[in-house]
Amino acid sequence: MRLASFADIRTLDPAVTSDALAAEALELMFAGLVDFDAQGKVAPDLAERFEVSPDGTDYRFVLRAGLVFHDGSPLTADDVKRSIERSLAPDTPNSFASFYDRIAGFEDFTTGKAPHLDGVTVGGRFVVSIRLREPDATFLSALAMHSLRPVCPSAGDKYDPTWLPCGAGPFKLVAGNWDRGRSLLLLRHDGYHRPGEPYLDAVQWSYGMNGVTQRFKLEAGELDGTRELSLADTARFMRDPRWKALGDYDSARSISAEGMNVEMPPFDNVEVRRAVANALDRDQYRLLRAANLEALTRVLSRSFRDEDPAFPGQKHDLAAALEHMARAGFPYDPTTGQGGYPKTIVYVVYKQGLIELTGQLLQQQLARIGLRVELKVVSYSTYLSLTKRRGTTTMAPEGWQEDFPDASDFFDPLFASSAINDEDSNNTSFYRNPVLDELLVRGRKELDPATRKRMYDEADAMVCADAPWALTYAYRSWTLHQPYVRGFVPHPVWSEYVAKSWLDRAATAVASRSGVLRDVRYAAGGAPP
Amino acid sequence: MNFLDPRAKGRFLRHRGARVGLVLVGLIVVFAVVAPLFAGQDPLHSDFAAGATVDGLPAAPSGVHWLGTDRLYRDVFARLAYGARISLLVGVVATVIATIIGAAVGIVAGYYEGSDGVRIPWVSVTGLVLGLVTLVLGHPQAAMILVFVSAAIGLAGVLQSIEPLRAGPRLDADTALMRLVDVGLSFPFLLLVMALGAALDKTSVTTIFLTLGLTGWLGTARIVRAKTLQVRNLEFVLAARALGRPTLAILLRHILPNVAGPLVVLATASVAQMILAESALSYLGAGIAPPTPTWGHMLYEGQDNYTAAPWLLAAPAISILVTVLGFNLVGEGLRDALDPRAQ
Repeated sequence: MRLASFADIRTLDPAVTSDALAAEALELMFAGLVDFDAQGKVAPDLAERFEVSPDGTDYRFVLRAGLVFHDGSPLTADDVKRSIERSLAPDTPNSFASFYDRIAGFEDFTTGKAPHLDGVTVGGRFVVSIRLREPDATFLSALAMHSLRPVCPSAGDKYDPTWLPCGAGPFKLVAGNWDRGRSLLLLRHDGYHRPGEPYLDAVQWSYGMNGVTQRFKLEAGELDGTRELSLADTARFMRDPRWKALGDYDSARSISAEGMNVEMPPFDNVEVRRAVANALDRDQYRLLRAANLEALTRVLSRSFRDEDPAFPGQKHDLAAALEHMARAGFPYDPTTGQGGYPKTIVYVVYKQGLIELTGQLLQQQLARIGLRVELKVVSYSTYLSLTKRRGTTTMAPEGWQEDFPDASDFFDPLFASSAINDEDSNNTSFYRNPVLDELLVRGRKELDPATRKRMYDEADAMVCADAPWALTYAYRSWTLHQPYVRGFVPHPVWSEYVAKSWLDRAATAVASRSGVLRDVRYAAGGAPP
Repeated sequence: MNFLDPRAKGRFLRHRGARVGLVLVGLIVVFAVVAPLFAGQDPLHSDFAAGATVDGLPAAPSGVHWLGTDRLYRDVFARLAYGARISLLVGVVATVIATIIGAAVGIVAGYYEGSDGVRIPWVSVTGLVLGLVTLVLGHPQAAMILVFVSAAIGLAGVLQSIEPLRAGPRLDADTALMRLVDVGLSFPFLLLVMALGAALDKTSVTTIFLTLGLTGWLGTARIVRAKTLQVRNLEFVLAARALGRPTLAILLRHILPNVAGPLVVLATASVAQMILAESALSYLGAGIAPPTPTWGHMLYEGQDNYTAAPWLLAAPAISILVTVLGFNLVGEGLRDALDPRAQ
């Protein structure tokens, strides 16, 4: 299966990876004790089964027998414990560490006071138990993420950036198959625990390939799928029912925003942030890519919450924005262009069509309230490095794709003060709000769905009001595959999830431009390909 | 057009390619100067009302938007016109910088070739070292200023025989300057420009002038040096030296006019090269930051949707083609007109 992306990945170590593109590969390389099933529910994976104590604090996992890593070594409970400790070790720059802070002994271990994580115990060669200090409604979901997934013994017990990533997932990375900045080739792991799976022999990503090139390569039969089509190509393919039949909307939820660093001026002033939130005309953002975008006025998009006009989200209101600017001490007169914030704000943006466009749209919209923005265009890797490091970036486009289907996933990693890290911060606005922190802590413990919903709505309102992010749009990818790609069903959590897919080349013509159209006609007519 | 040869002007004007080139350059200059005045659209303003189709695609050429709109629904004609100003400005200013540096280095190196060296003033040596330290400390703009001031003081000291400025280590100026040129030429031009641009951190029109100008003089220096080697042994130069004329006067009044012919040809071709380089830099994202309209960036922004909106590529591509062709034709005409073999 040949895939591509305009962007690049920095690392494939599950302990430190936090970007959505790398997650596509991680999901194929590393298997976890549990994973999300096709309905988005947590289900056993490496674990044959698990049990949860009545008070919700003790988890006991029984591993499947005969599990092996990519390098052939057996996977045991010791490896599970070692991998968890390696991922949460004080020297590991794990931006998701706060997801696991309910594990007993987390504080002592992550601060180096204890050599081992007390809450994780090995109860035999194939039994591992995890004890929480208090109930956590999100723990199983967090465990289904990539961060704590077992890694080969070659990884040792400390994070090492030179380590060749190796796990127990359906595909493996062989030395030399990762050409950084260009491509990644994963080969089938013959020792994978699910009999017969995976069906594909290999999955290959080409990185740094723009959307137009992807389209032409798809038409030339050199790519098997793409989800980064340009606006024009998306419109063209969606207008044609034969092509449209080959496309699927990604059900993973992602949101975008203009991020403001609350530790750096002028965004250390909440009134300026509120002015930005009011100044953005989200309908104009949406029009830039109407097939994929919906205007976003709150953190929890419509895929999580029904439309609620009464919700005090972030609304476009130019008069209110100017009022906030005046309150911040930077009054601006739009008729004369006098006033406003006297300095230029540097906006770090990476080279990608839509993001560069929204950056320029932001410039136009903020100029109306007296905020002058200058774009600094960098590579995606540089963008990630700059925005995650403290005190380096004033403003940048931000986005988040959910890790697991729970409202907390949009708050804990992005806006909790525990997600702040000097070098690799997931909370890139460096926003701290003790009241929100306390609310999020209670939300994680709360097991009643209705109460949780109320709590996260309150958190949403708080973030909207404090505006570390000026929310812009929610994005749904539209993935187009070759007619011979079989078994692809959009996964509710993982993007471009091809672990269950296969290629049926024998039954379909070569995917030249005319070949694709012919195949689609077969599909549309109901005839076998 | 009389660089030692009054007949050159006639030869130039009779040159068919040169006449076509002059017309093309004239058209582009007129377009750059006049078009923004009657374009009637702000090149930075998005027209969400009339600039977009129902699919959200850019609007096709119409009475409102003569060349259609781009992906942000901005008027392509207005952006093209403002882009022309920037391209011409960058081409000309960067060429002036490169030509001045190239001529100075080439003439000095050629004039002192074979001599027992010149003294480099301590002030300059200190300035250059400080410049390097400043560069290492991460202040490339300050480093550039230091290097420039040091070089200017050094040149003034050496050429004007200002005693307090002359004291310093002796250096074979020709060898040193030509090895510097060799090192510079060993890098691919665009790579060198991108490296310098990246070191400057922020890219603006001014930094593009500087990066292109500071990297584009190497070829000029080499050719001017070769021409200087011929001219310095001519009788009127030897006579001026024998009469005790100051070195600076000899270089400016006797050498420079005699190397001006090839210098003008080089400069004309260099304008085209600079415009192409600026377009390439903008296309690669290392040029002037958006939303400033540049032809290179317009190409970059248009490539994603050119199947549905071909004007997004055609407009800047044709503009670059016409401009570069025009300057190259003028350069070729000048070369033929000034080349003695053409007589």
